[in-house]
Amino acid sequence: MTVGIEYYVLLSAALFCIGLFGVLTRRNALMFLMSVEIMLNAANINLIAFAFYHGNLSGQVFALFTMALAAAEVAVGLGIILVLYRNFRDVDVTVPSAMRW
Amino acid sequence: MVGAFEFAPAIALLPLAAFVVALVFGNGMPKKGAYAGILATAGSLLLSLWMLATVAGGEVYNEPLYDWAIGDEITFHFGILIDPLSALMLVIVSLVALLVHIFSLGYMNAEGETGLPRYYAELGLFTFSMLAFVLADNLLMAFMFFELVGLCSYLLIGFWFRTRSAPSAAKKAFLVTRFGDYFFLIGVVAIGATFGTLTFAGDASFVNEAQSAIDAGETFHGFGAETWVTILGLLVLGGVIGKSAQFPLHTWLPDAMEGPTTVSALIHAATMVAAGVYLVARMFGFYALSPTALAIIAFVGGFTALFAATMGVVKDDIKQVLAYSTISQYGYMMLGLGVGGYVAGVFHLMNHAFFKALLFLGAGAVIILMHHEQDMWKMGGLKDKAPVTYYTFLAGALALAGIVPFSGFWSKDEILYDAIILGLEEPIFLVAYSMGLLAVFFTGFYTFRMVFLTFHGKPRSEAARDPHPVGMNVKIPLIVLGVLALLAGVVNLAPVGKIAGMDIMFLEYWLDGQYTEGMTGLTYSEYSDTAGLDTTYIAGSQTITLLIAGALALGLALAGAIVAHVLYNVPEPVPHTENLGAAREVLRSNYYQDEVQVWIAQGLAMPTARMADRFDQSVIDGVVNGVSSVSLFGSGGMKRLQTGVVTNYAALIVLGFIALVVGLGVYGGWFV
Amino acid sequence: MAVLEMPELTALAPPMILALTALVLFTYDSINPRSTNRPVIAGVAAVGSLASLAVAVWFILAGVGTPVAEGGNGVFDLFEGQLIVDQMALFFMIIVGVVTALVSIASYDYLRDHAYQAEYYSLVLLAATGMSTMAASNSLVTIFISLELASLPSFALVAILKSNRGSVEAGLKYFLIGALSSAIFVYGISLVYGATGHMQLDAIADNLGAAEEMNGLLGIGVLMLIGGFAYKTASVPFHFWAPEAYEGAPAPIAAFLSSASKAAGFVIAFRVFTTAFPLDVMQTLGIDWSLVFIVLAIVTMTVGNFAAATQNNVKRMLAYSSVGHAGYALIGLAGLTVDGGELVLGAAMMHLLVYGFMNTGAFLFVALAEYWGVGRTFEDYNGLSKQAPIACVALAVFMFSLAGIPPFGGFWSKYFLFTGALEAASANPWLLAVAAALVINSALSLYYYSRLVKAVWIEDPVLERESLSQPTGLYAAIVVAAVMTVLILPGFGPVADAAIGAAGAIIP
Repeated sequence: MTVGIEYYVLLSAALFCIGLFGVLTRRNALMFLMSVEIMLNAANINLIAFAFYHGNLSGQVFALFTMALAAAEVAVGLGIILVLYRNFRDVDVTVPSAMRW
Repeated sequence: MVGAFEFAPAIALLPLAAFVVALVFGNGMPKKGAYAGILATAGSLLLSLWMLATVAGGEVYNEPLYDWAIGDEITFHFGILIDPLSALMLVIVSLVALLVHIFSLGYMNAEGETGLPRYYAELGLFTFSMLAFVLADNLLMAFMFFELVGLCSYLLIGFWFRTRSAPSAAKKAFLVTRFGDYFFLIGVVAIGATFGTLTFAGDASFVNEAQSAIDAGETFHGFGAETWVTILGLLVLGGVIGKSAQFPLHTWLPDAMEGPTTVSALIHAATMVAAGVYLVARMFGFYALSPTALAIIAFVGGFTALFAATMGVVKDDIKQVLAYSTISQYGYMMLGLGVGGYVAGVFHLMNHAFFKALLFLGAGAVIILMHHEQDMWKMGGLKDKAPVTYYTFLAGALALAGIVPFSGFWSKDEILYDAIILGLEEPIFLVAYSMGLLAVFFTGFYTFRMVFLTFHGKPRSEAARDPHPVGMNVKIPLIVLGVLALLAGVVNLAPVGKIAGMDIMFLEYWLDGQYTEGMTGLTYSEYSDTAGLDTTYIAGSQTITLLIAGALALGLALAGAIVAHVLYNVPEPVPHTENLGAAREVLRSNYYQDEVQVWIAQGLAMPTARMADRFDQSVIDGVVNGVSSVSLFGSGGMKRLQTGVVTNYAALIVLGFIALVVGLGVYGGWFV
Repeated sequence: MAVLEMPELTALAPPMILALTALVLFTYDSINPRSTNRPVIAGVAAVGSLASLAVAVWFILAGVGTPVAEGGNGVFDLFEGQLIVDQMALFFMIIVGVVTALVSIASYDYLRDHAYQAEYYSLVLLAATGMSTMAASNSLVTIFISLELASLPSFALVAILKSNRGSVEAGLKYFLIGALSSAIFVYGISLVYGATGHMQLDAIADNLGAAEEMNGLLGIGVLMLIGGFAYKTASVPFHFWAPEAYEGAPAPIAAFLSSASKAAGFVIAFRVFTTAFPLDVMQTLGIDWSLVFIVLAIVTMTVGNFAAATQNNVKRMLAYSSVGHAGYALIGLAGLTVDGGELVLGAAMMHLLVYGFMNTGAFLFVALAEYWGVGRTFEDYNGLSKQAPIACVALAVFMFSLAGIPPFGGFWSKYFLFTGALEAASANPWLLAVAAALVINSALSLYYYSRLVKAVWIEDPVLERESLSQPTGLYAAIVVAAVMTVLILPGFGPVADAAIGAAGAIIP
């Protein structure tokens, strides 16, 4: 038995929304980053499911790229969070708000 | 061989060079730049005579030289048009300018004036502007140099800018003529916008366009073509009335006597004031399309002729008398043009240039004699002490009064003749004619009153008993002009020619293009055809009409002269103005024209300006300031979106995105 | 022409030269990380970017990217259409090359006290490689990869002043918004892939018919793609990172991001929406994206200009003005209609080219001011013209050109945008609103641009200043940018032809 494509889409949408919720509510920079990773993985689910649905492989290949880029993003992000901590003694993303208006 | 017309631009450019030279090097030059001006104007005169000869040889020249703005619908350019009219005018202008330059040696240099380089530079610029105006082949170029002429007259009238009256007179001249020029400018724009061209001559001239528009029965802005042409013509006429000092914009001219007398001679004879009438002659083909415009020109001219002549009767200052006579004489020219007498008008323009230059230079000589006294009641008896001045001045006076055989008689007679034969057909023109005729009497009277008070009787002041001698540089111009004033009428002895059946109307043939090839659209006979004015003769006979008209004019002129002789040619003349009673004050105050204009300015224009100012300050500025404060307030609000907290940004991004999804989704029907 | 005989891959020479230069610098950095041999390092970066620029200019003149039918050397299609080198790609490679070269030269002085020189330049060139590749990307895969290649070094560059709290704050915000946006963008790609089954742009266009049942999914996907582009171009509502990132970043990096990165964002937006989503098909699917761009253009230019009007900090004013200019360039997409729009699209490309000079120059002037240490607000700039007249003339040129005052390049591109919008308004009346917004915002922008000119030229300095030094690199970059802003006017005919030709080539 195969699961209908709409269920995959619903799953990925739910995951996307969970990630978005985390982005909006979490103040810890690491949690923010993780939430973004969840959103990226929601896209991966979609890609793989649709690759299966359409019967071509480009979605699966692209999912690999996405994962690699996510890793690179985390690397840069962790570097920035590191200097953030050095300058502000905190990893709360709402603390640096000197520049506004 | 290079054609004569290749040198046409040099006619105008020589005085421009003199302007630059006098301005830059004047202080270091002998006579402070006078020779530069004399050389330049002499060169212009020679070139102009060459042009005249070439035109007489049967060629006309109509070439654009330089396009300075090219649009889809219309192109603006500088160009040169040399036809019989402009060739004649070039000679007049450069001749008078040359004589004025020479006379200035005696009037300005010998009297030890300061600021002479400025004076000669301005004279050069003035001559340049007028010559370029005459050469112009299109209305916009004409307008530019028309304005430049106005500017130069402003500078020269205000030459003695340290006195109180000269700057004020200069400002008045500038503002009053500018007032007329606004209408001229609107007219230029309207003509350009209506016909897509501003050239005077050629197949694509606005005159031809207007002609074909009338023939085709087109309408512009809800007006019939002919009405529209009338409106355009009257707009341009605004500039003419201002420059040529016609009623009601003549008030600047008497005040302009504040300038040096040489400048007055130039302004009155050949440049500024002549520019207006020349413009009407230049675009006579356009005015000929509109009988209404012609009638208005005739009435303005006739009325001005009479009106100014009456004011000249009571003036005591010799230059004031001449000033009013100028206004009056230009009124005649307008009358002549208005009744379709193109040749007569141009003829009088030419004659007047000579005798008025003569009279002003003569007056200048008298002023030198009198140690700068201008009041005629302090003169007298100069006849024996300065015979050259006297006889030349007398020649000018006879021409001005229109006494046969001096030049003024022939042209004035022709104007009045043209007016009466038209008036007999259309009686309304008889009114204009009778005003012109009546003015002849006053002209004769004030002219000879001036002559008798100045030169006859006994000397009435110390200066008059012991006049300052004048040199050759004063006498030569006077003699040249005196001969011209006597003889210039020969070029168009119309009455003699018509009665005797001789072909001696050279000017008429000249302006009719009979000496030139390929003249189309610019000739006297074509103008007459266009205007289509019918004429009638008294008792059906041309000869009788000619004789009656001539006799009337001459008789009235002589009557005026005789009255002046009786009243003033006595050893101890007294002012008879008391006899005028109440009219005296009115005349002395120039019919309260200045008062009326001041009242218009203060009583009407000032409150309007104040209201406009209040409107600008409150409503317009209020709106502008309101917009800017609303913008800056909005800016403050817009900035607050940027809270500085990154989580808020994420929330706003998501909200904005959802708004886009909902908006496009509802519009695109995804949710159905 | 020699180009023809070369292997197809050489068509990608401009980004490849940039990548190579980045690798050279990277190698240098790993061997000698603390090297402060600034002339060599900055020189290599400048030479590499200038070489990339020169090759791109040579290609476009030699007819690479022009279809053979029009007498060119043909459009180069690489890796099964994943990458494409056409006129538009080369046009934007030129913009990237220009900005990179100016920034490299200017950084020579700006970074005089910085510890890690080679690292900085290699990151700049890597980001430039990404932007240059974006210009040639023709598939959602390559678009995403090159976009990330441009973004990731940019995050690091903004935060490169590690002990400067402003720089770190800016880097954090830029990174977080960037991460969120790329997550949204990837999700959008997955939805578009789901609806059409393809990633390559032409293949997407061919398979749009199959997406009829999933038009809602496709629509959300398209909007998510728009979100990704809006982030890259700093358009509303994804613009929030821009003011902070530009203000906190080193000024040359702000110049780099606001000019080159923005242009690169626009090139992928232009390509995706003209190639993959033809307007007529999308309208039958109920996804009229031109409406979205109309709304975004109006809102973006209004937000940017209004927020800029009352800033006190010069760099932040320029940052908001950069948002406003993104709104102007968006007219290029908003003005596309079913039967054309190459004029308005070409105008947007011209505007981005001119903007590459004038905006880079303006930010480099700020870099110069930071180099002098005169301060950040308008008052601090008062009277600078007395000490540095040449730079202040250049600043006046930049400001008046940004405001769109006639003699300068900025006027002409804005003028073409305006006429293009009016022309397209016959098909879509909403563009009248866009044109009106363009005029109103331009008028407002003159207010704050002229404020800066007034401060520099008319006001008297608040404090007495000593005479200011004249750093060669910064001055050279500023003067070149100013000269180009002026010179582009006589050269506008060919530029306009190239831009409109490039736009016409990609519009189906």
